[in-house]
Amino acid sequence: MLEILKKTNIDFIGKRYYAFAVSGILVIFGIAAFIAIFLGKADLGIDFAGGTMLQGYFEKEVRIGELRDAMSRNGHDDAFIQSLHREMPHYFLIRVKKTAEDVTTIAQDILGILEKEFPGNKFHKDSVDGIGPSVGRALQKQARVAVLIALAGILLYIWIRFDFRFGVAATITTLHDVLLVLGILFILQREVSLLIVTALLTLAGYSLNDTVVLFDRIRENLKLFRRKGDFARTINTSINEVLSRTIVTSLTTFLVVFILFLVGGEVIHDFALALMLGIIIGSYSSVFVASPIILEWEKKSPKRFK
Amino acid sequence: MTQKTRSYLTVLIVFLILASLWYLYPSVRLWTMPQSEKETLRTTEPQDLIELEKKALNLGLDLKGGMHVVLEVDQSKLKPEERRDAVDRALEIIRNRVDQFGVTEPLIQKQGGDRIIVELPGLQDVDRAQALIGQTAQLEYKLLESDENKVAILKKIDEVLAQKEEALFEEEEISFEQEGEEPEEPKKTEDKKKIAKDLFATEEPESVSDTTDTSSFLEVEDEDIYTERPFTSLMENFGGFWLGVPIENKPKVELFLKDPDVLAIVPEDDEFAWATRTQIIQGAEYQKLYLLKKRVEFSGKYLVDARPRYDEYRKPEVNFTLTKEGGRRFARLTGANINKPLAIILDGRVESAPVIQSKIRDQGRITMGGGARFEEAVDLAIVLRAGALPAPVTVIENRIIGPSLGQDSIRKGTTSAIIGFFAVLLFMAIYYKLSGVIADFAVILNLVFLMAVMSALDATLTLPGIAGIILTVGMSVDANVLIFERIREELRTGKTIRAAIDAGYKRALTAIIDANITTLITAAVLFQFGTGPIKGFAVALSLGVAISLFTAVVITRVIFEIRKGYRTLSI
Repeated sequence: MLEILKKTNIDFIGKRYYAFAVSGILVIFGIAAFIAIFLGKADLGIDFAGGTMLQGYFEKEVRIGELRDAMSRNGHDDAFIQSLHREMPHYFLIRVKKTAEDVTTIAQDILGILEKEFPGNKFHKDSVDGIGPSVGRALQKQARVAVLIALAGILLYIWIRFDFRFGVAATITTLHDVLLVLGILFILQREVSLLIVTALLTLAGYSLNDTVVLFDRIRENLKLFRRKGDFARTINTSINEVLSRTIVTSLTTFLVVFILFLVGGEVIHDFALALMLGIIIGSYSSVFVASPIILEWEKKSPKRFK
Repeated sequence: MTQKTRSYLTVLIVFLILASLWYLYPSVRLWTMPQSEKETLRTTEPQDLIELEKKALNLGLDLKGGMHVVLEVDQSKLKPEERRDAVDRALEIIRNRVDQFGVTEPLIQKQGGDRIIVELPGLQDVDRAQALIGQTAQLEYKLLESDENKVAILKKIDEVLAQKEEALFEEEEISFEQEGEEPEEPKKTEDKKKIAKDLFATEEPESVSDTTDTSSFLEVEDEDIYTERPFTSLMENFGGFWLGVPIENKPKVELFLKDPDVLAIVPEDDEFAWATRTQIIQGAEYQKLYLLKKRVEFSGKYLVDARPRYDEYRKPEVNFTLTKEGGRRFARLTGANINKPLAIILDGRVESAPVIQSKIRDQGRITMGGGARFEEAVDLAIVLRAGALPAPVTVIENRIIGPSLGQDSIRKGTTSAIIGFFAVLLFMAIYYKLSGVIADFAVILNLVFLMAVMSALDATLTLPGIAGIILTVGMSVDANVLIFERIREELRTGKTIRAAIDAGYKRALTAIIDANITTLITAAVLFQFGTGPIKGFAVALSLGVAISLFTAVVITRVIFEIRKGYRTLSI
């Protein structure tokens, strides 16, 4: 039997206050990010904010600085320019936040600028993404509704399957995970795009998965240890019992997402990053956030062990 | 599990595998087919290839390349009774245009109250397609204002503008005197600023001697003409019915044309209109400006057919046929105006203004302005045949994915999927030995079933969809990990292999189901919320998770049933 961990007996619950401190700080960043998004201050992707993104290549060499200067000379100071590694050399991504009712005009404007600023060096556009302001706003609203519905659905399911306390703890944990990932992405100054929201929703489901497996074991052990041990020990035992499963599953899932992060290309890059963070945080939170909440609650108003 | 259920399950599994392979065959065949073979098939048996492409797993626009636009129909200028079906009519017309353009499997559908989604996969010439779709294509015929009247109107415009500038100049001078040296008045509009600067320059000989700036030198030289005729000095008369405006003067002319004082001079039933294209005359680029009679003499609604053609000078033109009534009206119009120019106007811009040679009945032609390509005649004929849109449309979302970008995404997506897949297989085989290999078998089947179900349901594979499949591979082992860990625990407590397997499957089951349902909830929400690529992700993830329940719990169980009789368990 090959084991990453022999039978463990780590006192996870005893370390919960350190975890609370770490989580607390990161959650504050998450809330800050959330507020920033709400106020429109965060770096929203063009899906949400509206804007135009062009990808393509020049026939001859162009340095990224030259391109940046050319764009700002023509009224696009805020243009985001990235050099991409594709089969074609001199390949760039150009993104502007400027919008217009008719989005094709902005792409044409940029292509006009490139033609004017780099005469004799044709820019071949490979892809164009133009999102009008009304489309972005509609999508923002949809995303907010989607996040709320997903959270409500999860909460409802957990309440049906477990009891109220477990339901609340699982929901707080899920919210914690999403906020933490959002906070870290905010610190890393990643753009909140449609794919990032997708990743956040996916990891909400995934992190809950982890919590549910643990709660399932706690519930099972509570029946067994009803009279014997104390509550904290029951939880700690449960954590230790499912620990190797948590690690193995997280490891395999992390492995595939990490590979996606490395070789999946830049479209998927941030999406994979968000999922990687989510997998780590999801495993951490079921142990250090979900279980302690149950414990603290039981301490405040005992229900099972009076 | 009894012997009987085990046999039934085995038969079911074998059947499912065969069915999956049957569904997957077209995709595998299409994807592994070399390009050369595809080309031969396209020429010899095009129907077979289309059939194969239809049966194979659909690729999303982000992988295949193509164009996705969302149009908004501007109904604000429509009467309520026209508004009722304006979007549906616009959709029909766009569908007609796209069909005639010849794109395989276009998707054109209504979204909400006033939007139309147009998706054209695998398209090469996106700019052309975009122009074709977005064009209102309102064809109108108008007469031109007579030369005498035109000259008079232009003269008046010049006079009014000259007066205005005189007044402005004096005002500037006064303000110079009052304020002293500052030559530029920042509060004025840009246009006035320029004029003030030019005038100021005449008083300052230093700036005239600044020969490096030739444009200002020229402006200064033309100063007298400019002050006398501010409007017509911006254009040249080549003796046609039109005015040639050098392209660099166009913004200024447009600004003058918007001036309320100028608008007041232009008679009620006259209007200025630009030509569709610019033209090179004597080495310089000009855009023609016409003075038209506002009245619409004839419109495109009487058209029954339009075809592109080359005229006798090898210039592109569009020939059209009219309805009977249209022919009568057109004959009346042309008969009454022989030797006069008739402007052909498309979406408010003058395509050309040929002189009517003779009475035209039901056959006519649209000569395209100078510099037009034959392609433009082809597209004009298409939009004329399909008819004009009932209201103008604006593009509110525009996504074009080039074929090379799609290829790049496919390559990167599949590479990461393959690496991730084998990494998981290897890990499981090492960690759980023979049991791991059994789990690997389940993972492989999971992938096969997933792709087959996606094919069968006509789902679309997108780049996030590939990510969803990869994620499924990572997550689908979870069920087996839960079971195996449980069996290990049970074995540790000293249970027999038989009892440990039974307990392992039984006790792990609730956790497996709970965990998967939460993922399904989020996937369902994503499916509702997402756009194309995200939907692809939601479909791949939810199907993958659902299928993994079957492969990880049922299929491995059948194999473990056999292992119950073993003396040692490799786990």
